[in-house]
Amino acid sequence: MSRDEIPPGTLYLLILKTLALRKRLHGYEIAEAIEQRSEDILQVEEGSLYPALQRMLIKGWVVAEWGITAGNRRARYYTLTADGKKQLSVELSKFQRIMGAVSKVIQTA
Amino acid sequence: MSLPGEIKRRITMLFHRDQLGRELEEEMNVHLELLRQQKIDRGLAPTAATRAAHLKFGNTARIKEKSLMAWGSETLESIFSDISYGIRALLRSRGLTIVALLSLALGIGANTAIFSLLDAVLLRSLPVNNPQQLVLLGTGDASGIGNNFVSTELYSYPFYRQLREKNTVFSDVAAIFSMTDNVHGFVLNSTGDTNSASELMHVKLVSGSYFPMLGVRAQLGRTLTEADDTTEGDHPVVVLSNGFWKRAMASDPDVLNRKIKLGDTIYTIIGVSPTEFFGTTVGESPDMWVPLSMVKFVPPGYDAYSKNFVQSLNVIGRLKPGVSLAQATTEVNLLLQQITRGFSDVDLSQKNLKELSKTHVPLTPIANGLSSIRRQFSEPLQILMAVVALVLLIACANIANLLLARSTVRARELAVRQALGARPSRLIRQLLTESLTLALVGGFLGVGFALIASRFLLRMVSGGSEILPLDISLNLHLLGFTLAVTVATAILFGTIPAFRATSLHLTDSLKEGRGPSSAGARNPLAKGLVISQVALSLVLTVGAGLFLRSLSNLNRVDPGFNRKNVLRLQIETDALGYKEDDPRLNALFQQIESRVNELPGVKAASFSAFTFHEGSWSGAMLVPGMPNNEDITVHQNVVGNGYFKTMQIPLIAGRTFSTADTATSQHVAVISERTAKMLFPAGNPIGRHFRVGRNEPEREYEVIGIVKDVKFDSLQEEPAYINYLSYAQRPWDFGDFEVRYTGPFSNISSSVQQAIKSINPNVRITHVTTLDEQLSRSMTNQRLVAQLSAFFGALAVFLSSIGIYGLMSYVVSRRTNEIGIRMALGAARSDVSWLVAREILSLVAIGVGIGIPAALVGNHLVANMLYGLKSTDPLSLVAAAVLLLSVASIAGYFPARRASRVDPMQALRYE
Repeated sequence: MSRDEIPPGTLYLLILKTLALRKRLHGYEIAEAIEQRSEDILQVEEGSLYPALQRMLIKGWVVAEWGITAGNRRARYYTLTADGKKQLSVELSKFQRIMGAVSKVIQTA
Repeated sequence: MSLPGEIKRRITMLFHRDQLGRELEEEMNVHLELLRQQKIDRGLAPTAATRAAHLKFGNTARIKEKSLMAWGSETLESIFSDISYGIRALLRSRGLTIVALLSLALGIGANTAIFSLLDAVLLRSLPVNNPQQLVLLGTGDASGIGNNFVSTELYSYPFYRQLREKNTVFSDVAAIFSMTDNVHGFVLNSTGDTNSASELMHVKLVSGSYFPMLGVRAQLGRTLTEADDTTEGDHPVVVLSNGFWKRAMASDPDVLNRKIKLGDTIYTIIGVSPTEFFGTTVGESPDMWVPLSMVKFVPPGYDAYSKNFVQSLNVIGRLKPGVSLAQATTEVNLLLQQITRGFSDVDLSQKNLKELSKTHVPLTPIANGLSSIRRQFSEPLQILMAVVALVLLIACANIANLLLARSTVRARELAVRQALGARPSRLIRQLLTESLTLALVGGFLGVGFALIASRFLLRMVSGGSEILPLDISLNLHLLGFTLAVTVATAILFGTIPAFRATSLHLTDSLKEGRGPSSAGARNPLAKGLVISQVALSLVLTVGAGLFLRSLSNLNRVDPGFNRKNVLRLQIETDALGYKEDDPRLNALFQQIESRVNELPGVKAASFSAFTFHEGSWSGAMLVPGMPNNEDITVHQNVVGNGYFKTMQIPLIAGRTFSTADTATSQHVAVISERTAKMLFPAGNPIGRHFRVGRNEPEREYEVIGIVKDVKFDSLQEEPAYINYLSYAQRPWDFGDFEVRYTGPFSNISSSVQQAIKSINPNVRITHVTTLDEQLSRSMTNQRLVAQLSAFFGALAVFLSSIGIYGLMSYVVSRRTNEIGIRMALGAARSDVSWLVAREILSLVAIGVGIGIPAALVGNHLVANMLYGLKSTDPLSLVAAAVLLLSVASIAGYFPARRASRVDPMQALRYE
């Protein structure tokens, strides 16, 4: 089964949206959630996920705290902040604008 | 998005970096574990699952690094770790570090020291307001006093006044007396008495507009103003320099209530100038400034304040904003014509009008000040700057080579780090940081070295006389220069090895064995560096050879007089209060001459206006019937009767001065051979008559003798035209006194001084030296360049030999295996030595081959500084090449010998 990489620029959007839906997730869960919801088409590179999470921490879109997993292991859980919610709508409208534009180009072709 | 929040988070992060790293690691481990679990759930065996999880996740170290990089502090953080790592790495190879640091310290130090002088003499701006607006009328080429019809360098005081009034291009104009009066004055105590001995004071006369125009304010009291320069003779005020205030008055805070006596006049101290202000002439530091209105009263008392046609001033103007140099030049020249023609006592003869119409005054920007020493030193300093820059280049090549050799040793370390995920750019940065650390430490040592060296240099430049008052202390300008040089060297010597080191074939380097192939690949670069070192060293040694040979040529020049065994001193008679033409002065001189003549060990003694390299009084000899003789500059020397005997200048025809030549007898002259040929081409000059110059009294001189030519101002010059007059007939307020002696100098020196003092204790004796010393002082520049370039040439050769030694040792160690095989196969030890020696010699030969044309081109630029040989002097070339070859052979001998001692068994087992 071929799995596609996430288009550049959309990783923030995917993480933000995932956290908006599921409230509180650790890194593995975020990757899993994205892959599942995309029906295994999108593949999250861990090599991009963790740097992205760090950048989002810096920007203040998410906060992190340590918690215990179902398997009784310590893991870092991420939650969306108010700034993060605002950013989600920014990223969403940006994405829709681009997608709209792309589909217009494709349709007229 | 709140920016302050972000900054706060970033800063907090700086202090919790380790924690963050640990947390990230833990987070990723959980992730990995969960991935593995997932694989197992999907039916993989545990080991396969672990493998799959790792494959999917990727390089954790790299992800961690990348994640932390998001915080941006990584750069800063890693620079610190790079530096500490670099220092540890440098300490590990101590020999290399010491050699590198020493060559850097010397290279950077020499550059800094020469630059500090160059900066002080040529580059630095005057410490005044907007110095870039200042321009000088003329080129700053002359100083003195003259009465010409018109002059483009020096101006009269009335001219300055009118120019200041009439011009529209300058916001202000100031005048500076072109000479500094050296007066033996007195500092009076608070009760107005002179309780201390007189001391030498350098007095600068300036117009009242000088300080306001420059925008220089007093640190204490006030500076001179227009009000101090309105009427002649009644403004006895003085502004002290900071140096004089400190030195002579112990920074007395009550200085404004004290007075200074110069000549017969008592001056009120009105202020002290700021610390950094040394006037407007680089290489001078006046002790005090007096308004020009007092020019007649400051000894020697020039009458220059009201004479329209007595030129003695430098005139500087401050350009108005928006006025170009060309505009100002046009107006100044227009005004020069107008003002000169408008003087009430103007002589508008045909000749004068023609001269005036030809006159054009150039304006010279003087943001970095006037200078008498700039012309003298700019060329030698620039040459030396180029020399030390080349030395630094050689040092850089050396260090690059050493680092290159070391990076090979470190190849495995670097390969391991790359294999573990270090990005090449990261490794390059680390290696460059190491180089930079090395360079900065070297630069720091270099500054220390420069502080000592520049003082030493200044002493050399000053040529044994009074140390030139130049500020060569550390300043921001200088430190900026050193820092730039340091960083440039680090980039120069660090870049190539760094890029080399990181473009490795990982697998090759990781392999245990070190095949000859990898050594071969790296050699061309190292060889190239050694070749360029040799070539640069050759350029420097050829240059040094040329300068040394010039110096020795100069030393062998026959000045026309006998330079040995002549005591020379200067006497000052201003304390006696006699005018120049006072008959008592002549009587005193004659008395001194005859008294000294009788001393044991004295063969002859005489006064003279000049001996050698002391400036001149030049004036045309007007010979009736000789056209154009006004255009020939003849040096006039006023001497005593014993002068030719003292100097041992041979008489060719006629006679020299005798006691029969008196003030009332026929005025007579002795001329030099060349003068005779030039001005009296036909017939015997003896008995012919002429007059001297334009400003001399209308007086006929009769030629009574012809003497051999002598050099007058420098050893390089063609013998000058000289006309000797007798002081019995042409009074002169002497300086020079020469004594030809036998026996030890110190005995004669003290007995002569005692004799003079016994005749008149008020006569001041200064500058006691020998004629020989005075001659060698005239070669200060040549000696400076020759000695320093020889030193740096030797340094360059030494550095190159270290480079050769380092490279060959390295090559031998790399080829141990090959050498072992050769020897096992029956090669003799001498063959092996030759193998290595051949390589060295071929490198040096190529270096010399490149260096010779480079030297020919480079040294062509210094042809001006050479004497008695051309820049293509074959002897210097051959000598330098031989020197380099032999030094290289010595440097290569040790590695070659080591190669020949290789034990084949051990060498082979080593693999």
